[in-house]
Amino acid sequence: MRVGLFVTCLVDLMRPRIGFATLKLLQNSGCEVVVPEGQTCCGQPGFNSGDRESGRLLAQRFLKDFESFDYVVIPSGSCTGMIRHHYAQLFPADPALQKRINALSARTYELTQFLHTVLHIQNLHSSFKGNITYHDSCSGLRELGIKLQPRQLIGQVAGAQLREMEKPETCCGFGGAFSIKLGDIASRMADNKCQDVQASGADAIVGGDLGCLLNIEGRLRRMGDESTQVLHVAEVLVGPEALADLGED
Amino acid sequence: MSARDNILARVRRGLNLPGDVPGAERSEVLRAINDNARGPRPTYGWTDHAERFSLRSKMLSTTVDRVATLNDAPAAVVRYLNELKLPLNAVAWPALSAMPWSATGLGLEFRGAKDSDLVGITGAFCAIAETGSLMLLSGPDTPAAVSLLPETHIAILDVSRIVPGMEEAWTLLKSQQSAVPRAVNFISGPSRTADIEQTIIIGAHGPYRVHVILVG
Amino acid sequence: MLLTSFSFKSNVKKKLVDPVLQKNMKRFGGRFVIARAEVMKEVDNLEDIRVAAAAIRDGILANLDSYLITFEERAQARGTTVHWAETAQDVNRILIEIAKANGVRKIVKSKSMVSEESGLNDAVAAADMQVIETDLGEYILQLADEPPSHIIAPAIHKNVEEVAELFSKHHHTPRQTNIPALCREAREQLRPHFISADMGISGGNFLIAETGSVVIVTNEGNGRMVTTLPKIHVAITGIEKVLPTLNDLSTILRLLPRSATGQSITNYVSMLTGPKGADDVDGPEQSHIILVDSGRSRLLGTELQRALRCIRCGACMNHCPVYQNIGGHAYGWVYPGPIGAVLTPSYVGLKNALDLPQASTLCGACEVVCPVKIPLPELMRVLREQSFEQRLRPWSERFSIGVWRTMANHPRVYARFAQVAARLLHLMGGKKGLLHWLPGLDGWTDGRDMPAPTGKTFRELYAKRKS
Ligand code: SF4
Repeated sequence: MRVGLFVTCLVDLMRPRIGFATLKLLQNSGCEVVVPEGQTCCGQPGFNSGDRESGRLLAQRFLKDFESFDYVVIPSGSCTGMIRHHYAQLFPADPALQKRINALSARTYELTQFLHTVLHIQNLHSSFKGNITYHDSCSGLRELGIKLQPRQLIGQVAGAQLREMEKPETCCGFGGAFSIKLGDIASRMADNKCQDVQASGADAIVGGDLGCLLNIEGRLRRMGDESTQVLHVAEVLVGPEALADLGED
Repeated sequence: MSARDNILARVRRGLNLPGDVPGAERSEVLRAINDNARGPRPTYGWTDHAERFSLRSKMLSTTVDRVATLNDAPAAVVRYLNELKLPLNAVAWPALSAMPWSATGLGLEFRGAKDSDLVGITGAFCAIAETGSLMLLSGPDTPAAVSLLPETHIAILDVSRIVPGMEEAWTLLKSQQSAVPRAVNFISGPSRTADIEQTIIIGAHGPYRVHVILVG
Repeated sequence: MLLTSFSFKSNVKKKLVDPVLQKNMKRFGGRFVIARAEVMKEVDNLEDIRVAAAAIRDGILANLDSYLITFEERAQARGTTVHWAETAQDVNRILIEIAKANGVRKIVKSKSMVSEESGLNDAVAAADMQVIETDLGEYILQLADEPPSHIIAPAIHKNVEEVAELFSKHHHTPRQTNIPALCREAREQLRPHFISADMGISGGNFLIAETGSVVIVTNEGNGRMVTTLPKIHVAITGIEKVLPTLNDLSTILRLLPRSATGQSITNYVSMLTGPKGADDVDGPEQSHIILVDSGRSRLLGTELQRALRCIRCGACMNHCPVYQNIGGHAYGWVYPGPIGAVLTPSYVGLKNALDLPQASTLCGACEVVCPVKIPLPELMRVLREQSFEQRLRPWSERFSIGVWRTMANHPRVYARFAQVAARLLHLMGGKKGLLHWLPGLDGWTDGRDMPAPTGKTFRELYAKRKS
C-alpha cells in the first residue's frame, strides 16, 4: 500500500526526528511511504485566525499532493482533524471539490489511528524504561476519537508503564496562535497540565501533537523541571535503537 | 410601527421569510403544536411506579411513608410530626378538609398559607416516577403557597396517581382539566441552594422538609 | 451591565494573579463537571435526547415569528399582558412604566440574566423603587455591588469568608461562617421582603406556545415566591426562549438540570399561566411578560443562529479550561465562557468584544457537553472570520497571516525560510535547546520557554538521505 506522509509544519521545523520516526514505523509495517515535496502546512493557523482563504489555498494544495495515495498518515491529531473536519466546509459552493476532499479525508489518518485501526499493529519492537503519562490532545480526542489507540500501542512497548494523570483530556493551553495571543491564559493552562503530569509520577509525558508537547515542555522547563521527558508518541513507538539510527545529522 | 411589529418584521427578514406576516408557516406551527409529538426518553427500567417514585424521592431528600387507605393518612401525618417534634398546627389545602382529621387532635386551618405557618399539608395532582417529583396544580381549593411558605411540607398522594414520566402527567392534566391552571408546580424535594462554595444546603427559601404519604 | 469586554486582556491579567479568585476558581473547577458526568449515566440515550432537543430549538428558530405570535395570543387569552422590548433600554422603560402605573415601591426579583443585559436594577433604583435580588447568589452580589460571574452560579467567585463579611456588615449581625447558618440568615432577611413586595420579577427559562405559559426552573424556591406572593408578576425573557409544547418541555428538562448542576431534576419547575383566577386565594393579580429582542433577531439567518438554541445551562463554561482559570468577570459582560464569547460580540458589537472569540483554544470541551449541540468552537471561528474580514484585528496580526499564507503556498520559498529559521533558532537555543525570550513572541516566552528547533528541517534531512 502506498502511503503519503504529511509531516506537518511544526515537525518539519522543530523536530524532524518525529517525522523520521513516523516514516520508519510505517515502513516497518510494510508500507511504501512517499513524502510529497510540495507540502507545507495544513492551513489551520490561518483558518483558526479567521482567514478562510489560507485554509482554501492549503486545502487545495493538500488535495493536489496527496490525492493519488491509498492512505495519508499524519503524526498530528490536530492537522488530521483540520483535514477531515474542516476542509470540505471551506468549499460550500463546490460540491465536486467537496466530494474529492471527502474521499481523501476518509483515507487520511492520524498516526496512532492508522497503526492501530488500519494496520492492526500487534507487535511493536520497541522499549522504554519508565512511566509514561499520555496527554490527549484536543482535536485528536474530540474530533477523531483518539483515546485508546495510543494507549494500546504504548502497551506494546516493552518496559513502558502507563500512569494516567488526573485530567488527561483537559486542554494544555496551546491552541495555536492562542498560545501567543493570550499567552497569560495559555501559560496558566500549561502550568495546570504540568502539575498534573508531575503528580502522576511519570518519567515522560507523551502525546500525539507537537504543538501541545512544545507548550508543555516549555512550561516544564520554565518551572525548573529538567528531568521529565517530553516525547511524541512516534518516538516512543519506534524505540530507542531506531531513534538513535535516525540521526539528525 | 410598534416594537412588536418591528421585532416580528426583523425576525422574518432575518429568516428570509416572504412578506410581513406569517402565512402558511403559521398553520404549520399550529399543526406541530397540535401534533404534540413526544421526544425520546431514557429506558424506563422499572415496573412498579410507586417503588420507583419512593426511590427517587429519597434521592431528592424527600421522606416517604405509605399507608393503606386515605383514612389512615391523618394518623400518619401526626406520627411524622411527632417523630420530628414538629408543631401539631398546620395549614392545609381546603381540598383536604373532608378527610377524617378530627380524631388526630391536629390544629388545622384549611386556607391559603401565611408567613407564620410552620407546617403545610397538601395533596398532589399526580407524581412522576422517573424523577420522584410531585405535580401540584394551583386552584381555589389547592392554593400554591401551602407547599411553599411553611418549613415543612407534607403531601398526601394516592399511588394510582403516580405516572411514569412528565409526558403522562401532561396527558392526565389535559384529560381532567379544561385548561392549565395558573400555576403548575413540579416539586422535587425540599428547597436547596449551593450558592455558597457549591455546598448543597437543604432549606433555602421554601420548605426544609418534604414528606410524602403514599396511599394504597 | 457595564461592558468591559473590550479590555478582556487586561481583565485577564488581573484575574490570573488575584489569589482569592484563583483559590475560589480552583474549588469550583470540577464539581459541576463531576456531578454532570455522574448524573448523565442515568440517561442511556443521551445522544438521542440531545439531537431531539437541538431539533426542537432549531424548529422554533426557523419559524420564530409564528411561534411568538402563537405564544402571545394564548398568553393574552389567559390574561397575561405581553410587552415587546426592542432594546435593553426598552426593558427598563417598560418595567418602570408597569411599576409606576401600579404605585410599586418594593420589588423582589429572582434570577434573570436578561435583566442584567439592561442593568435593570440600577434603572429601577434610579426611579426611586427598591429592588431586592432573592436568589442567594444574586443577593450576595447585590450586597457586594458586583455583577454575576456565572449564569447559574452567579457568586461562584466568592468564598464563605467574603459572604460572612458582607452579611454581618449589611445585616448588622454577628459574623458567622457556617454555611447552613448563612443560608438561614439570608432566608430570614428575605422572607419579610417577599411578603411585603408589590412586584415580583422573574426570568423565564421557557415560554410555552401551546399554553401561553412561562416556565421557571429553580432550586431555592425564591422563583416561586416572587411569582406567587406579590400582586404583580413580570417575567422578562428573550424572544428565542419559546418551546412549542409541554412535551417538548419534558424533553428539554431531561437535559437542563443535568447539564447545569448535575441534578436529575431541579427542585422546582413552575409553569405560570396568567394572573390568579377570581376564586384563587393566591397568585398575582397581574401577569406581565416582557419579550426581549436586544440583538437576538440579528443572529437569525446567519451562521450564528445556532447560538440561539442555548438553554442557559452553563455547562460550556463549567467545562471550559479558560473560564476555569479566569472566572466570569474577565469576559466583561453578562454571559461568560464559550457561549459568552459568541453572544457578547453578537449583542454588543464585535468591535466592543474583539478578544472574546479569540479567548479559546477551540479545544471543543464545550461543544461535547452542550445539551443542544451548539458548535461553539465553530461559532467562535465564524466571529474570528468576521473580525479578520472587517479588518478589526491589529494590522501586525493581519500582516503576519498574509506573509505566512503566501509562503505556505510557495513550498520552495517556505522551505528556504524554514531552513534559515531552524538554524537561527537552534543557535539561539544554546546548549539546553531553550529560548527564554523571542522578539514578537513574548506572549509565549513570558510564561514558558520555547524549545528550540534541532537545527535542520525534516525536508532538508530527507532530501539528503534520499540522494
Ligand atoms: S451554549 Fe450550550 S452548554 Fe452553553 S449554556 Fe447554552 S445550552 Fe448550555
